[in-house]
Amino acid sequence: VYQVFESVAKKYDVMNDSMTLGIHRVWKDILMHKMNPSPGTLLVDVAGGTGDIAFRFINYVRSIRERQLQRKLKYHQDLSWQEISESYQEDKSKSLGNSQVVVCDINKEMLKVGKQKAQHLGYSEGLSWVLGNAEELPFDDDKFDVYTIAFGIRNVTRIDLALQEAYRVLKPGGRFLCLEFSHVSNPVLSRLYDLYSFQVIPVLGEVIAGDWKSYQYLVESIRRFPPQEEFKAMIEDAGFLKVDFQNLNLGIVAIHSGFKL
Amino acid sequence: VRCQLSPPQRPLQASAVLRRVSDEQKKEPLASSSQQQFDSHPTDHQREQEPQGPRPSYTGQGGQESEDYESEEQLQHRILTAALEFVPEHGWTAEAIAEGAKTLGLSVAAAGMFHSDGSELILHFVSQCNTKLSELLEQEQKLVQLGEAEKKPTDQFLRDAVEARLRMLIPYIEKWPQALSILLLPHNIPSSLNLLTSMIDDIWHYAGDQSTDFNWYTRRAVLTGIYNTTELVMMQDSSPDFEETWRFLENRVADAMNMGNTANQVQSTGEAVVQGLMGAAVTVSN
Repeated sequence: VYQVFESVAKKYDVMNDSMTLGIHRVWKDILMHKMNPSPGTLLVDVAGGTGDIAFRFINYVRSIRERQLQRKLKYHQDLSWQEISESYQEDKSKSLGNSQVVVCDINKEMLKVGKQKAQHLGYSEGLSWVLGNAEELPFDDDKFDVYTIAFGIRNVTRIDLALQEAYRVLKPGGRFLCLEFSHVSNPVLSRLYDLYSFQVIPVLGEVIAGDWKSYQYLVESIRRFPPQEEFKAMIEDAGFLKVDFQNLNLGIVAIHSGFKL
Repeated sequence: VRCQLSPPQRPLQASAVLRRVSDEQKKEPLASSSQQQFDSHPTDHQREQEPQGPRPSYTGQGGQESEDYESEEQLQHRILTAALEFVPEHGWTAEAIAEGAKTLGLSVAAAGMFHSDGSELILHFVSQCNTKLSELLEQEQKLVQLGEAEKKPTDQFLRDAVEARLRMLIPYIEKWPQALSILLLPHNIPSSLNLLTSMIDDIWHYAGDQSTDFNWYTRRAVLTGIYNTTELVMMQDSSPDFEETWRFLENRVADAMNMGNTANQVQSTGEAVVQGLMGAAVTVSN
């Protein structure tokens, strides 16, 4: 798995766009919307290499924070000047409202690409990059508000261990969110999807990234991944409650959600 | 129900969480950060100094500490109850729910369990108010049965019941119009209508309404109309202690009573007319 992503790292984003025809951006936006994080949320994005989820999180929290500040200003109409100036100073230093995201990935190359992207796009505050294995996370218990893993869990050898680690590092009340390719039950779509996956994607891989094998592996790993209900049962086994999934695009992709209660 | 089928380790973990949580309810809220299991961030300390007044001092429901764990539903109810305190500041939103979850020692992400428009919070509140009203009416009825109080005439009873129920809105009155509009959303109408009709039924039940004829529907409809219009008047009322609302209520109830009388009068007049005609017919035929 490590070598697959080492070779794939630099072209990862380009390949994502071409393979999914750009829809992966929409999927990730929907994930963020479902999370609906409030300022002050601590997020760990596992297998989040190039930072897509992390950047979206920062944008989302920033806009919510701005709205909050505007509402606060209206509320503050009848305070004294002293109090208003104090609250201004306090708020300015917290444009994210103390939200933080930790991007964790097993692969150094992916993290490197992510850091470069962050610099390029101007993200600096509230972001950290950590090297780590999803089956054995380098974090304390009960630390995070939200744990996300987008298109990463199918690459984990022992999925049950990753789920247990997710449970461990989440605070009570914390949320587990997983965005992953899943099972298409509609037979018509299923056939088209298979055709596309096995014929088109490896070819694209060769043309754009110069790597047929990795993308062959990718498509196969998608097929091997357990379907929605089975994955839901695995999440419940790890201890999560209120586990649910939402199919996007008729099951090509699914978002699973669970809570540590 | 599903919880009971989980593997044995679950109850222990859950009970650990809940014992922590229920312990917190007894201790000072800020002391939660001193417990070791929480890897407390400095940010949490700042957050926990609420700008609001005192913490909710609601007592835990029943003997939860003695049970091994509570169901998801019970936990959800507790979160929503805790969230009510934050409604005046944040409105009926996911933010209020997140703040409520925080006071229980849970992560703000727990608010993700609920719909992001705050519907569950509002429905929870309405249901709570209805329960409180039922209890109030039950107590009053007991007093009457014990002979310690006079049985009120119907119009007085209705006025007092509606006023008592509407007064429960007063702490949240600024954000209540927002709540009403959310309750009117299509996906909420079944539940909100259900809550409304059962409340009205309750009031009539305690008013001593025993009728099972078509009058039951008219009485229900009339009282629902009175309640809804008074509620709307209350939203716009700026008089001290909502005097104008209660006067409006008084007039509407009086109208309803008169309407009942008029209907009776019409009926008895009708009967008298019919009897007169019958008599005339008999006379003529003779």
